[in-house]
Amino acid sequence: MRVSTSWMYQQSVNTMQNQQSALAATQNQVSTGKRINVASDDPGGAGQMISLNHIMAANTQYSANMDSANTRLSTEQTALSSVSSLYNSVRSMAIQGINSTLSRSDRNDMATQLTQLRDQLVQLANTNDSNGSALFAGTSTTTLPFVASGTGAVSYTGNESTQMATAGPGLQIATSDPGSGLFMNIPAGNGTFTASAGAANAGSLIVGANSVSDPVAWSSANASSGGGYTITFAAGGSWTAADANGNPVLDSGGNPVGGTYQNGGSISFNGMTVALSGTPSAGDTVGIQSGGTQDVFTTLNNMIGALQGNSTGTQLANTLSRQMESLDQAAGAVTSTEVSVGGRMNTISTQQSAYQDLGVTYKAALSSVQNVDVYTAISNLSSQSASLQASQQVFAKVSSMSLFNYIK
Amino acid sequence: MSNMLSTGISGLSAAQVALNTVSNNISNVNTPGYNMQVVRQTESITQTNSSYTIGSGVNVVAVQRAYSSFLTSALWSSNSSLQRATTYNDLATTLNSSLSASGDLQGSLDSFYSTFSTVANSPSDTSGRQALLGSASALTQVFNTLGQQLTQQQGQVNGQISSTVNSINSVLSNIANVNQQINQSSGTGQPNALLDQRDALISTLSGYLGVTAVSEKNGTVSVYSSSGQALVNGNISYPLSTAGSTYDPTTPDVYTSAGSDITSSVSGGTLGALLDYRSNVLNPIQNQLGQAAVALASSVNAQQAQGLDLKGQQGAAIFSVPSPTVLSAAGNQGTATVAASISNVSQLTASDYNLSYNGTQWNLQTTGGQSVSLTTNADGSLSADGLTFNITGAAQAGDSYQIQPTRHAATGIAVSMTDPSGIAAAAALATSPASSNAGTATAGAISVTDSSNAALLSNATITFTSANAYQVTDSGGAVLASGAYTAGQPITANGWSVPVSGTPAAGDSFSVAANTNGLNDNSNALTLAALANRGVLAGGGTSVLSAYASITTQIGTVGSQATTNLTTQTSLNNQAVSAQQSVSGVNLDEEAAKLVNFQQAYQASAQIISASQTIFSSLLSAVQAR
Repeated sequence: MRVSTSWMYQQSVNTMQNQQSALAATQNQVSTGKRINVASDDPGGAGQMISLNHIMAANTQYSANMDSANTRLSTEQTALSSVSSLYNSVRSMAIQGINSTLSRSDRNDMATQLTQLRDQLVQLANTNDSNGSALFAGTSTTTLPFVASGTGAVSYTGNESTQMATAGPGLQIATSDPGSGLFMNIPAGNGTFTASAGAANAGSLIVGANSVSDPVAWSSANASSGGGYTITFAAGGSWTAADANGNPVLDSGGNPVGGTYQNGGSISFNGMTVALSGTPSAGDTVGIQSGGTQDVFTTLNNMIGALQGNSTGTQLANTLSRQMESLDQAAGAVTSTEVSVGGRMNTISTQQSAYQDLGVTYKAALSSVQNVDVYTAISNLSSQSASLQASQQVFAKVSSMSLFNYIK
Repeated sequence: MSNMLSTGISGLSAAQVALNTVSNNISNVNTPGYNMQVVRQTESITQTNSSYTIGSGVNVVAVQRAYSSFLTSALWSSNSSLQRATTYNDLATTLNSSLSASGDLQGSLDSFYSTFSTVANSPSDTSGRQALLGSASALTQVFNTLGQQLTQQQGQVNGQISSTVNSINSVLSNIANVNQQINQSSGTGQPNALLDQRDALISTLSGYLGVTAVSEKNGTVSVYSSSGQALVNGNISYPLSTAGSTYDPTTPDVYTSAGSDITSSVSGGTLGALLDYRSNVLNPIQNQLGQAAVALASSVNAQQAQGLDLKGQQGAAIFSVPSPTVLSAAGNQGTATVAASISNVSQLTASDYNLSYNGTQWNLQTTGGQSVSLTTNADGSLSADGLTFNITGAAQAGDSYQIQPTRHAATGIAVSMTDPSGIAAAAALATSPASSNAGTATAGAISVTDSSNAALLSNATITFTSANAYQVTDSGGAVLASGAYTAGQPITANGWSVPVSGTPAAGDSFSVAANTNGLNDNSNALTLAALANRGVLAGGGTSVLSAYASITTQIGTVGSQATTNLTTQTSLNNQAVSAQQSVSGVNLDEEAAKLVNFQQAYQASAQIISASQTIFSSLLSAVQAR
C-alpha cells in the first residue's frame, strides 16, 4: 500500500500522543492512589462509592448517638445508685424506729435526718444531664421537674414520655426514664394492696408482711367485690372479714370466712395472706385497700410526720412499717430501672463494637472500589513509558530515511 | 529531420510538464486537502507514409488529481462522526470534572441528616440547632453550585450552537462561490486547485454536521444535510439560522432558510453533538438534580410540619424551592394562564411536559412524545405525574405550554429558616389518659396524618361511651368523630391518628393536646434524621441520596461511553484517512524517483535536439564542402 509522507508522520505523532495520554492517566492514578477520580472512570463504581460513603456516614452518626446516649445513661445510673443508697439509709432508720424504744428527742433527731434525706432526694430527682436538661423530666423542657412545696409535698411538672436515641436502622434506645414512674406513681402497699391497722386499734397488733398468695383467686374476688376488705377481731383473736359494702366475705363453699388469730400468725382469704404480730383487742380492725399509688416523697413525709407526732409503740410501728412497705416499692422501681439502664448500656456497647467491625468492612469495600492497585498501576506505568520510548526511537529512525539523501 | 526535432521538442515539453508537476507535488507534501497530481501523456498521432509510419512524439493530455470520489466521501462521513464524538467527549469530560469539583453532595446530605441526630441528642441545645441550619445552607450551596455548573454548560452549548451555525453558513457560501468559479472555468482543463479547495471546504462542513455531496453535470457539487435539506445548489447557498425555540426564546433551535425547525433531525458533526447532548444529557441531568432537590425540600418540610418547634409552634419549612416553570408557546392565541405546582413528590418524574389545548380539552405529553392522562380534580384543576395545573382564562385551540417541573430547582433551592429554634424536634401532639380511667385501654403514639389541618393542635378529648364505642369532642364539646371501638385500631380526628388498645370502661377518656409540655422530645428529630434512608421519589422507592447516586452513575456512563465512542471513531477515521491518502497522498520517495526519471527523459529529449542539429550541420557541411 502506498503511504503518504505527511500521513506517516501524522500517524507516528498520533500514536505517541495516545501513549502519552495513557501514561498521564496512569501517573494520575499512582499519584492520587485512586482508581476513580471522576465518575466516568468507572460509573458503577462511582455510584457504589456514594452508597458506601453514605453507609459509613450513617454508622459514624449512630456511634455518635450512642456515645451521647451512653453519657446520659451513665449519669442516670449514678443518680439512681445514689437514690438506692439513700433509700437504704431511710430503711435502716425506719427499722430502728420500729424495733427500738425511742425517746422524744431521738425521734426528733430522726425526723430531722429524714427531712434532710428527703431534700436530698428531691435534689437527686432533679439531676441534670450533661446538656443541662433534667434527667427525670420525661421530654419536658423544665429544669426542675420536682417542686417541693412548703409542707414538703412534692409535685411533678415533667411528662410521661421518654427521649430516644437512634442506635441503628430501626433500633431506638430510651436515654431517660420519666420521673413519674420512678418517684411518683409508686403502687401503694405491697404493690397490689395495702393492709393497715385501724387508727383506733387498742391492742398491740402490728401488721407485718403481706402479699397475694393466689393471684387467680385474688383477681376473681377483686373483680366481684372491688378489693376493699375490713378484718374485724373479736375477743380471743377470732376474726371475721367484710367487703367494702359491709357484707361478710364468703369462701368457695359459700360460708363466711373467719378463724382465730394467734400472735405471729397470719390471716388468709381470697388469695391474699396478711402476716400479723401482737395481740388485737376486741373491736380492732385491719383494713385492706387494693390499688392506689403513693409517691416516695409522701412516704418520707409520712415517716417524718409519724416521728414528729405523738404516736409511739404499736401505732408508730404500724405507721413506719406501712411506709417501709411503700419505700420498698419505690426502691423496687429504682432497681428495675437500674437493671433496664444497665441493659440499654449493654445493648449500646454491643452495637458499638458491631459498628466498629462494620466500619472496617465498609472501609475495605470502599478501598477496593475507589483505590488503585498500586502494583498493577506501577507496572502499567513502566510498560507504558517503555512503549512510548520505543515509539520515539522508531520515529527518529524512520524520519531520517529518504531517497533524497541518496540523490546527489 | 524537422520530424525528429519536433519529436524531441514534444518530449522535452512533456518532461518539463512532468517535472513541474513533481515539483508541485513535493512542495505541497504537507498541504492539507492536497491531492497528488499526475501527468497523463499519450503518443502523438502518427504521420503515415505509403509504406511505413513513424511516431511523432508525445502529447500531454492532462494534469490530473489522483482521486477517488468514493474514498473522499467516506472520509467526509467518518470526519462527521469523529467531530461529533470529539465534541460530545469534550462536553461529557467537562461535565464529569465539574461534577467532581462542585463539592460533595453525598457528604453534605449525610452531614445535614446527621445534624438532625445531633439535635435529637439534646433537643433544647441551641448550638446543635444552629449547626443544623449551617449544614442545611451548606447543602443548598452544593446543590446550587452543581445546578449552576449545568446552567453554565447549557449556556456554553447554546453559544456554541449559534457560532457553529455561523461557521456552517460561511462554509456554505464559500462552497457556492467555488462552485461558480469551477463552472466558469470548465472547458479550460481541470481546475485542480479549485477542486481541492472545494473538497477541503466540504470536509470542513462535514465536521460541523453530517452532509452528502452530489456531483452535477456542470462540474458543480450540490450539498445536502444528512436529513435531506439542500444546503448548496450550484452557486446558491441556503444558510441555516438559529432562533429561540417555540417555548423558550433563550434556547436557540436550528432552522433552515425555509424556516423549518431541524433541531431534532440534525445528526453528525459538532452541531449534531451539541444538539444531542443538550436534549439527551444536559436537560435530563438538570431535571434529575432538580428532582432530588425538590425531594429533599418537600420531605424535610413535610416532616417539619408534623412536629413542634422549641417555641411550641407547628414546624415551619426549612427549605424553599422554586415552583415548576411554565413557558407558553410563541404563537398562543388565547388568554389562558397556566400555573403548575408539585402536589405529589413520589410521582414526580424528571420529564418536561407539553400541555396543549385542542379546543375541547387539554392534553399532556412528555417532551419525548409520550401521552400522559390528566385527572380532573374537584376544584377544576388538572393533575398528572405528581403535578397539578391551575388554568385561568380562555385558551384557543392549538395553544400550548411547556412545563419544566424541576429544571431550576437545584439552582433555586434555599434555606428559608433563619431561627434555629424553628426546628421541630418534638412530636406535635401528646395524649394523656384521664386519672379516673377505670379500664385497661392505653393510647399508643399519636401521629400526624394531615399537617395542614387548621385544628391540628387544638385540644380534643376521646371519650369511650361504652367499652366498644368512642367519640372525639373538641374543647367546646362538639363531636368531631365517633365510631365503634376496635382494640388496636387508630382513632382519627383533626388531622391526627392514635392507636388505642386494651379494653376501656364506659366513661374513660384520653385528652389530646399540643405537646407543649414535651418540647424536649426528640421523636420528630429522629424521624427527620431517618429521612436519610427514606424513599421519597419514584413511588417511595428512591431516597434523595440514591437519586444522587444514580445521577452520578448516569453522568459517569455518559462520560465513559463518549470516551469509548471517540476511540472507535478515531480509529475508523484513521482507516478512512489511510485509505484516501494511499490514493491521493504525496510520497516523497516516489516523487524523488519520478524527479530522476523525468530529469533523464528531459536530458534524453535534449540529446535528440542536439543529435538533429549535428545531423543537420553534417548535411550542411557536406553540401558546402562540394
